[in-house]
Amino acid sequence: MNMDDAIANPKNLGEMSGADAVGTAGSSDCGDMLRMWVKFRDEGGRRVIDKATFQSFGCQTAIAVAGIATEMIKGKTPEEALALSGTELSAPLGPLPPMKIHCAQLVEGALKNALAGVPSEPLSPSAPTLADSLQPPKKVTIKLHS
Amino acid sequence: MQELLAAYPGAQRALFRNYHIGGCASCGFRPEEKLSDVCARNEGLPLDEVLGKVRESHEQDEKVFISPSEAAEARRTGAARFLDIRTREEHEAVKIEGAELFSQDLIQQMMGGCPKDTLLIIFDHTGTRSLDAAAYFSGHGFENVRALKGGIDAWSVEADPSLPRYSVE
Repeated sequence: MNMDDAIANPKNLGEMSGADAVGTAGSSDCGDMLRMWVKFRDEGGRRVIDKATFQSFGCQTAIAVAGIATEMIKGKTPEEALALSGTELSAPLGPLPPMKIHCAQLVEGALKNALAGVPSEPLSPSAPTLADSLQPPKKVTIKLHS
Repeated sequence: MQELLAAYPGAQRALFRNYHIGGCASCGFRPEEKLSDVCARNEGLPLDEVLGKVRESHEQDEKVFISPSEAAEARRTGAARFLDIRTREEHEAVKIEGAELFSQDLIQQMMGGCPKDTLLIIFDHTGTRSLDAAAYFSGHGFENVRALKGGIDAWSVEADPSLPRYSVE
């Protein structure tokens, strides 16, 4: 699958009700967040991933990688899924440019958080970002001028 | 970087538009970093070239702005998509008809399904945040992104006086 298809038609996008596990990486406050929901099923006595969905607020590459990754982990045990690196999760899209590798790491972090409760790596403090401009104050009072 | 941003306020927008640096926390930089270090960890970008882009940033910013009258013409012909990055309260109180309130769902939908050559006109209250938001979209490949000069406040004065002006408390 190429990147354009994966971005235009991301698979498994959206919140899942009744999920067995939920994981988050990043923070919506900083404009780069990915949340993943996972549902398990029993397969011959093994607990495997039945389906996984995600929501993302951040780079479009993260959406593409998450769509691919949530397909890839179907049928795998949590241990097998946890063994996958960000590079492996994004492999069907081809090598990511160095500046986009963090998108795959975001997906890996959300998956690890969902399956093993591993807290995602805190992002290093940075200067205000452009994404901050998309985060208006939470609540304001408006006074109309006559 | 802190000193660079103080000297060239549009530097961050230029960096993201051209190199996808500084858009979000993952591709951001720390205030104490040097530009040369940021270049080095981003595929060894040539420092002179990056500095040149930063110096051009003010001129680039001016080109991103669209006046209320130009924007009104684009709205009249249906050529533009208006994106409102204000709060929901402001959007519900005073809005440009047809404008879409920015949300996480909207950004997902736009990154996935909005043609990259769509004319996007981004606005806030007074035009102070819209350039950053416009650069964010430009850095994600949108080719025709404009920021409404003066925000909806200027729109109320110049394009649609029936729309009340307001202040935020």
